Amino acid sequence: MRKLHMTIIALLIFGLSWTGIIQPVHAESGTGAVETKKTIVLGTSADFPPYEFHKMINGEDQILGFDIQIAKQIAADMGAELKIEDMSFDSLLPALTSGRVDFLISGMNPTPERRKSIDFSDVYYRANQSIMVRKEDKDKYNTMDTLKGAKIGVQKSSLQEEIGQKIEGAKLTSLDKVSDILMQLQTKRVDAAIIEGPVAKANLTEAFAITDAVPEVEDYGYAIGVKKNNPELLNSINNTLARLTKEGKVEQFVNEASAMVNGKQASKDTFSFFWDYKEYYIAGIKYTLLLSALGVLFGFIIGLFISLLRMNKLAVLRWIGVAYIEILRGTPMLVQLLIIHYGFALTFGIEFTALESGIITLSINSSAYLAEVFRAGIQGVDKGQSEAARSLGMTSSQAFRYIILPQAIKNVLPAIGNEFITIIKESSIVSFIGVADLMFQAQVVRGISFAGLNPLLVAAVIYFIMTFGLSKLLGVLERKLRTSDIH
Amino acid sequence: MISIKNLHKSYGKLEILKGIDAEIKKGEVVVVIGPSGSGKSTFLRCLNLLEQPTAGEIRFEGELITDPKHNLNATRVKMGMVFQQFNLFPHKTVLQNITLAPLKVKGLSSDKAESIAMELLRTVGLEDKKDAYPSQLSGGQKQRIAIARALAMEPHVMLFDEPTSALDPEMVGEVLDVMKRLAEKGMTMVIVTHEMGFAREVGDRILFMDQGKIIEQGTPEVVLGTPTHPRTQDFLSKVL
Repeated sequence: MRKLHMTIIALLIFGLSWTGIIQPVHAESGTGAVETKKTIVLGTSADFPPYEFHKMINGEDQILGFDIQIAKQIAADMGAELKIEDMSFDSLLPALTSGRVDFLISGMNPTPERRKSIDFSDVYYRANQSIMVRKEDKDKYNTMDTLKGAKIGVQKSSLQEEIGQKIEGAKLTSLDKVSDILMQLQTKRVDAAIIEGPVAKANLTEAFAITDAVPEVEDYGYAIGVKKNNPELLNSINNTLARLTKEGKVEQFVNEASAMVNGKQASKDTFSFFWDYKEYYIAGIKYTLLLSALGVLFGFIIGLFISLLRMNKLAVLRWIGVAYIEILRGTPMLVQLLIIHYGFALTFGIEFTALESGIITLSINSSAYLAEVFRAGIQGVDKGQSEAARSLGMTSSQAFRYIILPQAIKNVLPAIGNEFITIIKESSIVSFIGVADLMFQAQVVRGISFAGLNPLLVAAVIYFIMTFGLSKLLGVLERKLRTSDIH
Repeated sequence: MISIKNLHKSYGKLEILKGIDAEIKKGEVVVVIGPSGSGKSTFLRCLNLLEQPTAGEIRFEGELITDPKHNLNATRVKMGMVFQQFNLFPHKTVLQNITLAPLKVKGLSSDKAESIAMELLRTVGLEDKKDAYPSQLSGGQKQRIAIARALAMEPHVMLFDEPTSALDPEMVGEVLDVMKRLAEKGMTMVIVTHEMGFAREVGDRILFMDQGKIIEQGTPEVVLGTPTHPRTQDFLSKVL
């Protein structure tokens, strides 16, 4: 038993250290300047091709895009080394005001709202808006008037959504991701999509066309954010922007970045598709396995503990156990995840990393289900077993450990296996808060490959291999434990 | 060795034991008989406190074991128990069934525990079954292993709770043989059984229980041969 303890502790340490090691996805890129002692840190949210996006180059994850090109120019002009911090778009402003990053370039509009907390440079790019349709409809929707009453796909809470709302009788479908909007378009659920010009160009495939219709819109344009009261940095940035505009470099960067996004055409069959993007999937599998393994491990330990509370002689402890189980089983896991990740930070100031929040949520959620499974198993062991153990002088905890628990677990092994398989699949929920698990990577691949379905099919196959493998493994374990039942 | 004073046991309003006084001496074989529902199993299970008495006192080797502060586990080591349903540990081999408590409770080395276990297996004639699992044994074999398991703790007294009631008739003999040899070696034993022949042959004293009380007691010749109480007579006329 002591050995088992050591193993568990070792696993915990291993798991926790691993979470520390593979936590951030930083991409660094130097300016190549010699003897630069100064470092300037860029904050960006690299999920917006062709502005900024991840791409695997020679097996290495890099952040590219024309915003990044501009950032490099700014750093070069200052004679500083550029360091890139990738984070969610919502975290950018706090990161800048708290000094974690020096400036922001992330396809950001200088809205009056944002101007209250940070300063903005001159506008460096003003994107036009495009109407994207299925190829055969190119002439059908050639003016804005033809879109009246049409079904239109737009990105949620975006400028494009505002445009769509002004079109008479248009039925809007608002979604999070451009790739989802394009799937809607391709499968004829919407007739047209309003998409920002460079993004539309980057997404243009055989199936689609950009019409001649031009949406009129008042746009803030894109600008670079810096901390308030830092005129030196602001001037330096504005000087660089002026130079780039004069040299026509911005247009050039846009075109180069769009080309880079399109550099890899999505393969048609699912397997070669997987092969093309295997680095992303492998990175995702690591997180999914880590999350599942730790979720299962902690879920198992906590679940056992809760089942003991649930069966305790003391009514108070029993009540706590029941409440824990009922609350966690009776609320959606997504809500639990958001409460732990955001609610704890807002209410108690406890800031878990996304990975920690994911592991905690999976652990406590599965512990509630496992607690009931354990209870069934423990209560299913014949009373005579504990009487025999106690009559030999064993303490109640010895009887539980050596006699009751092994039999209980053997009896409910199929149910435990069920729960493990559920955890592997449900771990995909952590992609909501930005853990780069398999599901998250599938979405990333959707974003960069502009394939709607294949990235998800690949993910589904990988999930299936993991769950099927696990259920086979549990089958072997079950057979091994059943040796004592052979007659 | 065991002295019982005014022992009561109730489940809610149902009173099973209604005041039992008894004395068990060292080296004595006491057989408890009586109709079903008379409380004989409950009485036996109260002796090592598998059932918590509602009232009354039990002293074992001078110690008041019904005292809530008493260390029960230490006492139970000295009181072996054999159950009607064997209660072998199905996930352990025969050898592990026997060595588990000596290893974990007494802290013996595994060499020592195994040599004790092998010795006992020879005594019950099952050394070739040491690596079998309980599900691979017959009822009679299971009960002999259960006896060996209890003896491995080197108890001062053995409690038998209807050890042959769950057995096929042809297997009763092999278990009773083991018990008889144990008695001959001078083990103190308290046996609840329906085997009247065995009671007569091996018992030093018979306790006849009915409706939660000891109605009559004495040597087998007296209680089984010339019972004085009408209920004893009635019971014996049905079973003999």
